[in-house]
Amino acid sequence: MKWSIDIKGTLSPVSILGAFFEKPNTIAYPQVKKETAKGYRGFHTNTLAECIGCANCQDVCMNDAIDMIKTDMEYNAKNASQCIPRIDYGRCCWCSLCTDVCPPNSLKLDEEYMNVSKYASDFIYVPKNQ
Amino acid sequence: METPKHITIFHGPQHPGITGNMSIELDLVGETIQRATTHVGYLHRGFEKLVERRTIIQAFTIVCRICVPEPDPNETNFALAVEELAGIEISRRAKYIRVLVLELSRLSAQFLWMAGQSGSIGLYVVGQWAIADRDLILDLFEELTGGRVYHMYVYPGGVRRDLPDGFLDRVASLLTYLKKRLKLYDDIFINNASFKNRAVGVGVISKDEAIVNGYVGQALRGCGVKADVRKDAPYLVYDELDFEVPTQTAGDVYARALVRRDEMIQSVKILEQVVEKMPEGDIMVKMPTHRKFKLPKDDTWVKVESARGEFAYYMAGDGTEKIRRMQVRGPSLVHAFTLLEDMLVGAELSDVALIMNSLGICPPEIER
Repeated sequence: MKWSIDIKGTLSPVSILGAFFEKPNTIAYPQVKKETAKGYRGFHTNTLAECIGCANCQDVCMNDAIDMIKTDMEYNAKNASQCIPRIDYGRCCWCSLCTDVCPPNSLKLDEEYMNVSKYASDFIYVPKNQ
Repeated sequence: METPKHITIFHGPQHPGITGNMSIELDLVGETIQRATTHVGYLHRGFEKLVERRTIIQAFTIVCRICVPEPDPNETNFALAVEELAGIEISRRAKYIRVLVLELSRLSAQFLWMAGQSGSIGLYVVGQWAIADRDLILDLFEELTGGRVYHMYVYPGGVRRDLPDGFLDRVASLLTYLKKRLKLYDDIFINNASFKNRAVGVGVISKDEAIVNGYVGQALRGCGVKADVRKDAPYLVYDELDFEVPTQTAGDVYARALVRRDEMIQSVKILEQVVEKMPEGDIMVKMPTHRKFKLPKDDTWVKVESARGEFAYYMAGDGTEKIRRMQVRGPSLVHAFTLLEDMLVGAELSDVALIMNSLGICPPEIER
């Protein structure tokens, strides 16, 4: 390797000092939180008044992350199977194919994406009713 | 005690200077490399086989994971291959949106390269700034696709979501900002004596060698060959857009860095045209449900230009709802074996990360 004297190349990085007069790119998390974009693919929500229990979401899920289960929640009268989807977030890849194929458009992805728990069972999640 | 003449070390897979999960076995005499052997297999996820077990629509969510820094060429290749086999013609608006996504993705991958390339020689400020600027592009992706890294957006038949209100204005203002920043990156990185002294004359490829061995991307354009899929075999609407294919003749790490810098300028130019010309219309053609969507018994070969070079897919259908065979041919396969193993012979140990980053090797493409 040969090192040569390059005055222009040595001085040009000095323009980096201009950054002292600019606003920082970072934010003071967690005091300041970044707003999630509208339409972000976060956790699922399911409008039970509209869900028809068709299991299309379970059928399209390539990771087998969706089970259709019975719960004690109040369902739509048109829910023939009386089952609603339950998502395993250990398997889900948030591709949102399940929401694409939902005929009544009851299953959606919300902007919420934080789930902190020490119990693995908490990642098997029945979508919130909205 | 006698000092051994040769020493063999493993560079990677946990070494910070390695681009991803792979390792290089280096035989050294002093600091000089005598022999380099690439080892892969740390990241084999079996994408090609997984695709064969799923319906076409289910397989669409896997392909973006083949390349983490730049998933969109994979999604586009997959969609182009499925559309060609199924005889689907997508709308002009969808084509323009795909170009928008591809060029934003190219810029984001180039910023990631800049971070890696500068980090490999200890210029960490450049790396941090490049990652911060890449984040602004990821913010746009988050808004458009719902995901920051894996977009799962370019879908067979079009794109999954329409542009949000005011999105093109935000793209335009980001481009104005990036144009200013690119000049700053010239000062602090490209023209920086620390980078020039380390990069000039290192990792040299000759033009003949590049053509014979099938190198692509900056490895090829850095030694004077004007080859770019967007110009040579235009796809989507690249034939309607005005841009140049930058080349250099030296064939070394610095030439490849200059090519990438010029490509970033060209990407900004393409994006400005896309923002200006974005047509109205549908974004998606009517598609059958995933159990009824079948590909005919036929095969195809499609390719797009990724940030690291030509990225191609072979796809064969067999008349069922599953893909019979899909093969991924990314630029990293030939670059990580034929090119890197030869190029490292005679180089210094401290140049390994520098050379690897200049080629942009991405292991998931090799062991897909």
